[in-house]
Amino acid sequence: MEQNHEEPLEDKEITSWKNKLIWSWLLTLPIVIIMLSERLFNFILIEMPYSLIIILILGFPVIFIFGWKTIKSGIRGLFTFCFNMDSLISLGTIVAYATGIFYFTGMVQDYSGISAMIMAFFTTGKYVEAKARGRASQEIRKLLELGAKKSRILRNNKEIEIPIEEVRIGDIMIIKPGEKISTDGIIVKGESSIDESMITGESLPVDKNKGDNVIGATINQDGILYVKATKIGADTFLAHIIELVEEAQGTKVPIQKLADKITSIFVPVILSLAFLTFLNWWYFSEDLSKAIGISVAVLVIACPCALGLATPTALMVGSGMGATRGILIRKGEAIQTMKEVKTIVFDKTGTITKGKPEVTDIYTLIKESELLKIAGSLEKLSEHPIAKAIVNKTNLKRYSRVLNFKVLRGKGVQGNISGKEVLIGNRTLMNERKIKIKDFDNKIIEFEEKGKTTMIIAKDKKIIGIIALADTIKDDSKEALKLLNNENYRTVMITGDNERTAKAIATQVGIKEVIANVLPEDKAKEVENLQKHGFVVFVGDGINDAPALKQSNVGIAMGSGTDIAIEAGDLVLAKSSLLGVVQAIHLSKATFKKIKQNLFWAFAYNTIAIPLAIAGVLHPVIAEIAMALSSITVVVNANLLRKSKI
Amino acid sequence: MKKIKFSIEGMHCASCASNIERSIKKIAGVKEAKIILMLKKGIVETEDSVSLESIKKAVETAGYKAIKME
Repeated sequence: MEQNHEEPLEDKEITSWKNKLIWSWLLTLPIVIIMLSERLFNFILIEMPYSLIIILILGFPVIFIFGWKTIKSGIRGLFTFCFNMDSLISLGTIVAYATGIFYFTGMVQDYSGISAMIMAFFTTGKYVEAKARGRASQEIRKLLELGAKKSRILRNNKEIEIPIEEVRIGDIMIIKPGEKISTDGIIVKGESSIDESMITGESLPVDKNKGDNVIGATINQDGILYVKATKIGADTFLAHIIELVEEAQGTKVPIQKLADKITSIFVPVILSLAFLTFLNWWYFSEDLSKAIGISVAVLVIACPCALGLATPTALMVGSGMGATRGILIRKGEAIQTMKEVKTIVFDKTGTITKGKPEVTDIYTLIKESELLKIAGSLEKLSEHPIAKAIVNKTNLKRYSRVLNFKVLRGKGVQGNISGKEVLIGNRTLMNERKIKIKDFDNKIIEFEEKGKTTMIIAKDKKIIGIIALADTIKDDSKEALKLLNNENYRTVMITGDNERTAKAIATQVGIKEVIANVLPEDKAKEVENLQKHGFVVFVGDGINDAPALKQSNVGIAMGSGTDIAIEAGDLVLAKSSLLGVVQAIHLSKATFKKIKQNLFWAFAYNTIAIPLAIAGVLHPVIAEIAMALSSITVVVNANLLRKSKI
Repeated sequence: MKKIKFSIEGMHCASCASNIERSIKKIAGVKEAKIILMLKKGIVETEDSVSLESIKKAVETAGYKAIKME
């Protein structure tokens, strides 16, 4: 695990701005008093030129010592043509300060007091902005600090405590109740319930026993656990989540494109505008001082930050909110696309249902034990969840020898047992092999109407029995579908099951449409068909349906704990709940709305404020305050996203 | 292809981020450069031939400092 024991850069930045802010205002306040008493009350505190000398002396450190970083970066930008925000502020303050010196030559009016005030307000603005930005990233920073720092491991039969970096794969970690599980592993001894909420957003603890996987950074609640470390460092689940969330911050939301383009040419454009403003006012008003004052206002009012921060801050807050709920936004683009979505397609197995089918009924004309022996022996060779369920049910001590075993993807399995060909599969398979279902048809229909998947067992081209399996629907699937239907989404379930079984399940959960009999490899094609009627969200486990996730406009990969395909999908759910899908949709929409609001304010601010400054109606200090407020508004508004109901 | 990650010191405005991005993209062999203003981090995807040093320099040319490179 990458551990960062130093003070994070953000905190360093906030502290540094704070110190500068205090010193700047200590020195600037006397300047303000001298200037205000003169301007407002016509009360001359100190005679000229002494007052000017005092202002120049007090202002110097404000600009050139506490503002040095800004000035240096700004001037550098001017000379290297890597213009930035600092270039505008530096030029504005230096020009204003210089008027104080040139005053003595009688050429210009004095603006030097203003220069210190501009820098002081700029520093204040940066401080408030840095704090608000820190707040915007608080959930993500919490995620970074989530990992355990130490681990208690068993070495040579002794318990020793070591730093997390020294844990090796295969080490046995001892985790006591209330402690954090130090890294990903598998339980070798003990049982307990584990609070995984920090990773999956699932509030209920999960019961785990020997042989179960546990996630590092989750908390052991009751029993003592002996856990063998299976993943360490950058390979852990938490490290992957952190990487995903961080990288997502670098992905672009399309709506930001225009703002980014403007930001990249913003400073040089403003510099030119300020220069033109200066020439224009000087030429037409023949008042050099006025021309300087107005162009300083233009320099300091313009701020690319509001534009540049509009999207990243909102995305950051949205991502953080998602992360605490087990919703990981992998691509920024997805939150914009989500707004256009009309159809939501759910994969059945593992998404709507728990993905763990169980045998519920057996119907046969031969001895049941004989049927189970044949079925169990054949299915033992398959990895499919249905096969596993059948094997579990048969619970055989000894298996029959199977020759020529073959998996018929999406249909079933086949093989030879004692010289006889055995087929286990669905109707499609039986029809293909021209095996008559007739005598079993009523029974099969009965099972299917209850939403059960029926496996037909045929030996020597004759049906000998059927096994019905049911996959439990997840507790909250129904509630989630109700919410989505109320929001007028077209909901579709896609499955390899036959029509009747699929419809029965769809009715139970509240899904309106069913696409049945779909082979795994055809799911993407079905999604493509649905896309003719509008944008499609595909929700699947990301393992068998990666192509469909990719084909859809927004792919939501869903899993539980470590069993998620984190690289699949535009959004990833670390919890296995359809309510998570509803939350993910709401979160995306709310985040995008915030982005739009922010961009609107940023554009509105710049298009109104800059012309006003050019027109000469804004005092430079007012201009600076407006500028600082513009970027603060955007960041604070992004933080308000937390208020929206997800 | 490889991925280089680093933190950036001194970056505090949106123009800064786009300056750094532009500067890094000028290096031959750089496929993608993402500068994350909010986290003060950079993620650069490059061909294997591109050295850490050259990226560090590109960040410096833009007026900032790349630290904790990996």
